[in-house]
Amino acid sequence: MRRVYVASVGYTTVGDHWNKSILDLAVESGFKALAGAAKIKPEQLVVGNMFSGLSSRQEHLGALVANGLGLTGLPAFKVEAACASGGMASLTAFNMIRSGQIDSALVLGVEKMRDLDPGEISQALCTAESAEYTQFFGASFVSLNAMLARLYMYEFDVTRADLSAFPVIAHRNAVHAPHAQFRKEISYEDVARSMIISDPLRLLDCAPVGDGAAAMLLVSEDVAGDVNGPLVEIASAESATNRFSFYERDDMLDFAATKLAAHKALKSSGLSISDVDYLEVHDAFSAVASLSVEALGLSKRGQGARDAREGKYDCDGGLATNCFGGLKGRGHPVGATGIYQIAETYLQLTGKAGENQAKDVSVGLAQNIGGVDTTAVVHVLKRN
Amino acid sequence: MSISYWRLKDRYYRLIGVSCEDCKSEFFPPVHVCRRCGSRKLVDRDMPRTGKIVTYTELRETLAGFEDQEPMLLCIVQLENGVKVLGQIVDTTVENLSIGDKVKAVFRKIQEHGSSGQIFYGYKFVKA
Repeated sequence: MRRVYVASVGYTTVGDHWNKSILDLAVESGFKALAGAAKIKPEQLVVGNMFSGLSSRQEHLGALVANGLGLTGLPAFKVEAACASGGMASLTAFNMIRSGQIDSALVLGVEKMRDLDPGEISQALCTAESAEYTQFFGASFVSLNAMLARLYMYEFDVTRADLSAFPVIAHRNAVHAPHAQFRKEISYEDVARSMIISDPLRLLDCAPVGDGAAAMLLVSEDVAGDVNGPLVEIASAESATNRFSFYERDDMLDFAATKLAAHKALKSSGLSISDVDYLEVHDAFSAVASLSVEALGLSKRGQGARDAREGKYDCDGGLATNCFGGLKGRGHPVGATGIYQIAETYLQLTGKAGENQAKDVSVGLAQNIGGVDTTAVVHVLKRN
Repeated sequence: MSISYWRLKDRYYRLIGVSCEDCKSEFFPPVHVCRRCGSRKLVDRDMPRTGKIVTYTELRETLAGFEDQEPMLLCIVQLENGVKVLGQIVDTTVENLSIGDKVKAVFRKIQEHGSSGQIFYGYKFVKA
């Protein structure tokens, strides 16, 4: 198997792009990534996206984006795995290059959410869950995560303040991130007093709705010499699935897909979790961030939120985590999120993270999930 | 949607899941492969209609089509056979709910479907 590198990255700001279509966003991020390694002509385009059919009445994104980039003829397709679509698109391209089929690929995640009304956005997000036994009864994606959060708080005596730690840290980290949706600090009191969406989850427990696109050029070791900028190696990329709906699981607080994907990814990279010094976790909801660091083996069961509150995941002094704000602060344009995570890890490992730079980082791990840990994609990245 | 509703009406009306012919494990929603023994021999089986609340929430931003039911109480119930089911809990308020509360399944209107106004029915839970 050949080595695979991230050669360049590009992305839009995350937020309300009223004047830009899904294609405008995709092309903007794609042009930036292509410009970062001008000698590389991608042999494949892989687009990660969750619900363009609902948001933009547009499928067939592979060909649409290839044409939009002026690359007609380029093989192209879309990969969908709910909120893990971006991570899964990257994994797909990674495997194509690693196997020797191609030498380079443009991977691009995009989501246009703001063309929908709020109720329609809830419905679109909920397509990650069972149409027949979850959506039918009116349960939104937030309500499922709220029930998960209540159970988490009940089982492990987690307090409101504990739960607020990840959102507070995320916003603090996003302040200096030029592409983040919310560059504003929030306090524990702000989270505790914000509007209830689905109790116990409040507005500031939840990642926001926003438009965005992120792209990156991946290259094989055989053409890596044509890249002028710094390279980051994708040491491994693995995915796993869990029982589809979280209420079908014997232990609802066990993120088994994350566990399995991380175990496989660390094993195939020859690294252990203690080697990881930069982390991107899928903090779509406060409790999901906590359950994720627990599944990764970084916090003991039931301790993730408390560890965050005590500074364990601080970018300055802890295990540097989500240093551009994560899903909560940078934003969560769902199908693009997995690519933002890898792009941000690339910036950290190449020392290009500006005011958000974490000190002395060389091994990054990015965890991207779809549904309530129904699909998990884990990438391990190494400084070259 | 109305065709899939018709197809599933026994599941929604009568809480009919499946049982494994080989190891007798029971499942709801129905599965195609037994999660315990891997058997593909599964037959329809009535689920028990009583159980206890495992977790719950009061949803204040409902999905499109459910606006008239806002705020909506949702819960996950562990039925007496151990199977967990998601559903609404009605005829109570969030202040009166606790994990562990006993509940029973009842037959209720779930939603009116789109422009046709077709009424879909199914199970909801009430405190026992």
